Amino acid sequence: MFARESTTRLLSETGGLSAFTGRFFRNLFKPRFEAAEFVRQCLLIGYKSLPLIGLTAFIMGLVLTMQLRPSMIEYGVASQLPAMVGIAIIREIGPVITALIFAGKIGSSIGAELGSMKVTEQIDAMEVSGTNPFKYLVVTRVLACLFMLPVLVLLGDAISLYGSYIGVNIKGATSFSLFFTQVFDNLAFSDVLPAFIKSFFFGWAVGLIGCYKGYFSSKGTEGVGRSANSAVVVASIVIFLLDLLAVQVTDALGIN
Amino acid sequence: MAAKSTDHIKLGLFVMAGLAFLIVTLYLIGKDQDLFGNNFELRTRYANVQGLVVGNNVRYAGIEVGTVRKIEIISDREIEVCLVIHNKMKPFIKKTATTSIGSDGLMGNKVINIEPGIDGLAVAENDILPSRGAVNTDDMLRLLDHTNQDIAAIASSLKSTVSRINNSQGLWRLLEDSTIPMHISGSATQLQQAILRVSSMAADLQLIVADVKAGKGSLGKLLRDTAMAGAWQHTIDQLEQAGAVAGQLAARLDTTAQSLQVDITNGKGPVHVLLKDSLTAIHLSNSLRNIDLGTAAFQQNMEALKHHFLLRGYFRRQERLQQKAAKSEHGGAAMRTGP
Repeated sequence: MFARESTTRLLSETGGLSAFTGRFFRNLFKPRFEAAEFVRQCLLIGYKSLPLIGLTAFIMGLVLTMQLRPSMIEYGVASQLPAMVGIAIIREIGPVITALIFAGKIGSSIGAELGSMKVTEQIDAMEVSGTNPFKYLVVTRVLACLFMLPVLVLLGDAISLYGSYIGVNIKGATSFSLFFTQVFDNLAFSDVLPAFIKSFFFGWAVGLIGCYKGYFSSKGTEGVGRSANSAVVVASIVIFLLDLLAVQVTDALGIN
Repeated sequence: MAAKSTDHIKLGLFVMAGLAFLIVTLYLIGKDQDLFGNNFELRTRYANVQGLVVGNNVRYAGIEVGTVRKIEIISDREIEVCLVIHNKMKPFIKKTATTSIGSDGLMGNKVINIEPGIDGLAVAENDILPSRGAVNTDDMLRLLDHTNQDIAAIASSLKSTVSRINNSQGLWRLLEDSTIPMHISGSATQLQQAILRVSSMAADLQLIVADVKAGKGSLGKLLRDTAMAGAWQHTIDQLEQAGAVAGQLAARLDTTAQSLQVDITNGKGPVHVLLKDSLTAIHLSNSLRNIDLGTAAFQQNMEALKHHFLLRGYFRRQERLQQKAAKSEHGGAAMRTGP
């Protein structure tokens, strides 16, 4: 009975999200783009998330380096630590961890915001006043997530590498230029570009799921909390699914 | 409005920072792969590229000067590798330079090493550099395996030898014998003395050799005296002459023996009669028997004469004279051996 309900809910959610995605693309190319709202959302979603992303990225680079160091020394390749950390951060850890933190912060925020607007009937009021709420609320937020997450990933990678540099120098001595030379010497376009491209998909998924969960929030204030929570959970799962899909695609294209 | 403008500036800075990092990253990677700047291409060919891939570094005398741009099979035995080299290296790489595939450390990426050539013309675009076989990890491991087997065999032999030494009672008895050091010490002393004697002998020998060189002594004269050498030559000549005479004599004796042999064979001459004629032998035998008989008869007659009264006195006188002579001889000898 429970399995049947779960399956029905999963299929219903999937169908609803697909329809919501279609509606997003339909509204995306409709004229009168809400540029001011888009810029505002970019500021809120991107710029305001930088301290949190920066802090976690710094700690992640530092800890990853310090955790890898003993193993690298054990295998006699301690000199390859910058290259190893660089590849790990740029290829996988940077985009995925940043996207997960982004989902936690922005996905829940969008879900809660739109949910509260839904339960307080502000969205309905917008429709009555002649404003397209979907275009104003959803398209701008999804596009902001789509464009801001890659920027956050890039800055997070840079801060993470700096954290790694400090981690390397806690128990060793490597100059700044040598560290970054070793990092970039061992990087290829096939490391940077797929990671950069998949971060767009991560951002798009976080924005879309947050908006979907908030836009169809119900059951009053309880529903707002549930929307925020499920937005984070679903977005996190979708991020991992997209990551799995991305690695399969890059592998199939031979750029892995 | 001012707040909105500030927000825009913040957002602009945020986006620009992210894009700047992306651009710097892409530029550094592109620069590392020689996508920017002035480059030229060189080619080299191998039978086996040992896992070389596009993007691997190219080094000239240990300096990174480019990357691998393309790897393609041109025949079933040859693979052509296209190298992108920095233009500034063009004057330094000669046509006689050789390439080999190496490894960046034991477990690192493959690299192409360009070894500087002997003086010659500088390379040009699309020149094909000669390649040479590099040390292959598989070959190294194979050699290491052989070496390990050899070491294992040596260790096994060593173990057996040590075991035999451990089980050898005679050796341990020898090692535990406290008198051996004294014997060795004594032997060493004797050896030292022997060496001193040998040294003394060598000194003497040196003196002898010096004397011989100076022509002193018999050996010196023998080796150095020219007069003696002349005498020796004369003696040798005489010996040669004597030998020649002896040869002639032997030839004559041979001739005589041959003629005697001929006489004996033909039944002629006195030798044949003496050696071969049986009648002559009978006559000789009879004559010898008659002589014996005659001698016995003569002995009888002489004995008879000794007892004849006319001659008996003579024989007695002779006996007495003999006895006297014997006595006088005996007395003289006693006097010489007396006190």
